[in-house]
Amino acid sequence: MKQTIRLRVNGDAYEVAVPPWRTLNEVLREDLRLTGTKRGCGDGDCGACTVLLDGRSVTSCLMLAVEAVGHEVTTVEGLATARDALHPVQAEFIAAGAIQCGYCTPGMELSAAYLLSRNPAPTDDEIRRGLSGNLCRCTGYQKIFEAVRRAADRLKEAARPDAAAGDPATGGPAGGDPSGGGARP
Amino acid sequence: MTSRPIGKDVPRVDGWAKATGSALYTDDLSLPGMLHGALLRSPVPHARIAHLDTRRAAALPGVKAVVVGSDLPAVRYGNWRLVPTTQDELALARDKVRFVGDEVAAVAAVDRDTAEEALALIRVEYEPLPAVFDLDAAMAAGAPVLHEATPDNVSVTRKIAFGDLEAGFGASDYVREDTFTVQAVSHAYLEPCATLAQADDLGRITLTTSTQTPYIVQCLLASTLGLRENEVRVVKPAVGGGFGGKMELRPWDVCAAFIARRTGKPVKFTLSREEELATGRRRHPMRLRSRVGFKRDGTLMAKDFQVLLEGGAYNSMGPTATFLVGNFGAMLYRYPAYRYAGAHVYTNHAPAGAMRGFGAPQALFATETQMNMAAEALGIDPIELRLKNAMRPGDEIPDVATVGTCGFSECLERVAEMSGWREKRSQGPGKGGGKGLGIGCYSFITGGVFNWFNTPYPFSAAEVRAYADGTVHLLTMASDIGQGSDTVLQQILAEELGIRMQDIHMTAGDTAMTPKGDLGTWGSRVTLMAGNAVLEAARQVKEELARMVSLRFDLNVVQEVELKDGMVRSKFRPDRGIPFAEAVAMAQKANRGKPVIGRGTYTPRDMGLVTPTFSFGAQVAEVDVDRETGVTRVTKVYTAHDCGTVLNPMAVDGQVHGCIQMGMGYALSEELVMRDGKTVNASFLDYKMPGALDMPECEAVCVETHDPRGPFGAKETGEGPISATAPAIADAVWHASGHRATALPITAEKLLAALDGDDSVAGERRAEASCAVPDPRPRG
Amino acid sequence: MSLCKFAYHGPDTLDEVLALLAAHGPAARVMAGGTDLVVKMSRGQVAPAVVIGLKRVPGLGDLHFDPVRGLELGCMTRVSAVLEHPAVAAHYPALAEAAQATATVQIRNMATIAGNLCNASPCADNAPTLVARGASVELRSPRGHRALPLAELFRGPGQTVLAPDELLVRITVPPPRAATGFAYLSLSQRSAVDVSAVGVAAGLTLADGRVAEARIVLGAVAPTPFVATAAADALRGRNPDDAAFRAAGAAAAEACAPIGDVRASAGYRRKMVAVLVRRALERATARALGEGTARAARQAEVTP
Repeated sequence: MKQTIRLRVNGDAYEVAVPPWRTLNEVLREDLRLTGTKRGCGDGDCGACTVLLDGRSVTSCLMLAVEAVGHEVTTVEGLATARDALHPVQAEFIAAGAIQCGYCTPGMELSAAYLLSRNPAPTDDEIRRGLSGNLCRCTGYQKIFEAVRRAADRLKEAARPDAAAGDPATGGPAGGDPSGGGARP
Repeated sequence: MTSRPIGKDVPRVDGWAKATGSALYTDDLSLPGMLHGALLRSPVPHARIAHLDTRRAAALPGVKAVVVGSDLPAVRYGNWRLVPTTQDELALARDKVRFVGDEVAAVAAVDRDTAEEALALIRVEYEPLPAVFDLDAAMAAGAPVLHEATPDNVSVTRKIAFGDLEAGFGASDYVREDTFTVQAVSHAYLEPCATLAQADDLGRITLTTSTQTPYIVQCLLASTLGLRENEVRVVKPAVGGGFGGKMELRPWDVCAAFIARRTGKPVKFTLSREEELATGRRRHPMRLRSRVGFKRDGTLMAKDFQVLLEGGAYNSMGPTATFLVGNFGAMLYRYPAYRYAGAHVYTNHAPAGAMRGFGAPQALFATETQMNMAAEALGIDPIELRLKNAMRPGDEIPDVATVGTCGFSECLERVAEMSGWREKRSQGPGKGGGKGLGIGCYSFITGGVFNWFNTPYPFSAAEVRAYADGTVHLLTMASDIGQGSDTVLQQILAEELGIRMQDIHMTAGDTAMTPKGDLGTWGSRVTLMAGNAVLEAARQVKEELARMVSLRFDLNVVQEVELKDGMVRSKFRPDRGIPFAEAVAMAQKANRGKPVIGRGTYTPRDMGLVTPTFSFGAQVAEVDVDRETGVTRVTKVYTAHDCGTVLNPMAVDGQVHGCIQMGMGYALSEELVMRDGKTVNASFLDYKMPGALDMPECEAVCVETHDPRGPFGAKETGEGPISATAPAIADAVWHASGHRATALPITAEKLLAALDGDDSVAGERRAEASCAVPDPRPRG
Repeated sequence: MSLCKFAYHGPDTLDEVLALLAAHGPAARVMAGGTDLVVKMSRGQVAPAVVIGLKRVPGLGDLHFDPVRGLELGCMTRVSAVLEHPAVAAHYPALAEAAQATATVQIRNMATIAGNLCNASPCADNAPTLVARGASVELRSPRGHRALPLAELFRGPGQTVLAPDELLVRITVPPPRAATGFAYLSLSQRSAVDVSAVGVAAGLTLADGRVAEARIVLGAVAPTPFVATAAADALRGRNPDDAAFRAAGAAAAEACAPIGDVRASAGYRRKMVAVLVRRALERATARALGEGTARAARQAEVTP
């Protein structure tokens, strides 16, 4: 029943034999051992399993792995380019106190990165809407909103034509990619 | 990073790991040869198991173990080890099942598909027994009995009484009695429970499990399997929230360990969200009757508080809940006379357990709503009425607890100021075009002092190892489940030793690698108890290093030496000192290499029955009620709280915000809806906890006190605020609409029915919920 | 829980899809976005032996707007594509409102409008507006193709008139008309993630300051999208005012047949129909009265 499929995840190619009823979430976590992508409900309600598919946020628990073939998958492991070069969303989640238990964090960050890739200067209401598919039980969301606002500011700063190369200490992107820094859309 | 981190917005020490997805939670772990477990649960609420046939399941290729109740030792377990008669659970049912979801069998197989397939092959014949689903049915004469040892289904009763109740009511000018009901809600932590067991050649167990109480799991698992305590090692990896729902030994822990011992292979169980919501622990539903008397001027005279707790099928943490409700009913205000009686009642529902604020959200919804009703009747502003009766430092609940520091009155003043209370509230109810604001207050414990687990070890312990390279290793069993205790404990250590956060390496939550003991994360105990243990350990290291440096520079060790900025030096002549690392090397050399280690413990003594110290706070909620739909939007929540001295403002804010989210769900939308013992809404689609769009703006200020019992003066902040939110919102709904809710949640439908004077709707909904299953998801 | 076991086909052409459907009949399920089917399979509510994925067939996700022919959605057009398309925002704001009300950001990025319709859930957010706008659907099978009004697609909860070998390939929405406005409003206990306990699509055409024609379609209050014909017809010739809209709301509430479940009781749903019909008619009127007003209303209500 297994079939061999080729997946592209975070720019890397993987060949993996899976049965067709395996979800992308299961294959990422169990076959590719990319366990940063979480599973909070398996119903697409909580958003903890969010990944980007060709730059669009999707819930990996509701997608068959076989249907991800031919698409570029970005998981939380692909957001940072190096240990000390976090995506601005990640850096601001840490700095703003937007993380508590951390279980919603990877999905929340990908939703935030997706939002900022499409809307580099979101209003508060747009931030709330952009994150409305991700449940959090710890933070009451306030610090998460703040982190996204700060990440937007930082991306804006980095996108200015006169902006110098990114600051490695703070994880700002080098150069001016307003579409989500280290994310590979 | 500063070497003085206390009081600063220090980011979490595990922030990078969690932000990058590299933090490992139990289900992220996988071991070679690992088996996957699955649980068979009872589909019926109450039945005798007439026949169990596992042969077909066991014969399925790939199945390595099928376990039923009779395979396991018949040792009952439960957190109240001090009173063994309260320990009423078995990992797998032996003779009968008591709720829908009660675990009946466990399977372990080479993969999940096979394990699930095997479950379907187990045949169980149930002989149905009559079941009870509410307090009245469970307590009726001749009601079906859940546990033979408890023929009246009342498993625990608790009483608190002080003052002359009759005299108090007799001298009252105004007496009112109200009944409040509150519902079951879920912790809804994002990480479902998971556990991973390994056995060694001697059958000793290493259990990595999503828990907030490694020590409790260690002890209870050992006794359940007939092992000695330290033949079980429990490791707490990253935990995706607990809120009280992960503080017990659970059936999957027992089954995983049992199967690992039998097969010699690692075994992992991971629960589904459906299992969590349908069968998991929940907050106790309660019916609370409160009679309270006042003088005309608002002076409180007496309170009589009678509470029934619906415990579900097993005791779990019910004995604690039954006491704490009565304790919290006596908090906040100065009651000259008070009487509490609480009873914990078994029903054929999934058991209730500990949950954030434990006992206080229920007790304070009743207390605070009744205060607001009384204020209205007496014609006194609710904040004035509270100020008149507010607890002050040194107040006591006789024979139960003493209030230490208490900034309650200041909290009331501050929240009134922040929210523009006096102006906005001057308008009567229902006059604000659907807008309104309301108040609720809280007090909560900073750790529990009652030793219900009967531990012979300290309540908290810490070891600090200082090294000659300037790094320090902190070891403690204290368990960070997301609240940030690893960070705060490191802040405390860094502050005391004058080193940087990044100089500290930490091992925590591992029963084999960290000093015994620690009772875990509950009751807002970690910062105070583990924090004091860390502080004591740090002081020993400090003392040793200070002695060395004072000898070398001829300083007065008591008055003159400080540890600061990575140096051990004279306070007055900073040039007289050496780096921390050198001081450690010096101390070791002077003692023939003996390592520099500090060991600290904390166990409360002579602090009553409840806690070393209480937090206090006041909260005002603003709402917008749509009169036509009944929908309540919470637009802003103001909080003024006394959590002692703030050790990490960012972390404190995060706790307050999290409490508001959970409290708001409790107030308006969250409820585990039950039908014939089954949970009807066992998905996040229909279990409605607030999302990003629902959250109000939150503004919080700290009214700082300095509590002598807390490390650097700190008290709790992680649980208290949740109890204020529901009464504040309920009061705001009254102010906005004129309807005073005495039952939660205040759903749009219930509110509209009340405003329309239509009593039938709530009943109609309940009746209809019993005959219709939710639609499928409307998606593409 | 793991999904049920099935064979998966991901054909490259529509003809192959139809051939597979014909070959497997009722044992096969078509997977568009998959967001509903995967949940049903994981909960054991359906267990198809064969799943036919549409994602590889080119062209099925197109969205075309033509002022004369109207709006055409392929069967793989995602909900988010509708929400984000400028032509939808400009000419079909009610469709955007319904798309916005559908589940979450991530689900909208996966789920398709056609899938939302073919699941035939009574509370599908996208059905009422499309029915109100007079959308039609094109069904294809190896036997040929047929077109029918969308309203005739639904037979009951989870049931459509699609034959086992048929595929809904296209949804066509008639072009916008002058002096006409539509609106969609839904209600649920929570702001996102949610399903609608009630959904109301309403539209009207004005002539000489009066209602020339009106449409009211309700979701989640009957086994299929409920066309409140009498309530809408009674508006004809009346002033578009509060009294008329209240009467329409009351009539629609009277006519529909909601059930009660864990999300809302029948009585509450009925009450909400009255309220939402009136509010939707108000918003539709604002849109019918002028582009400027309509744009303002759109911007206020729909944020992609």
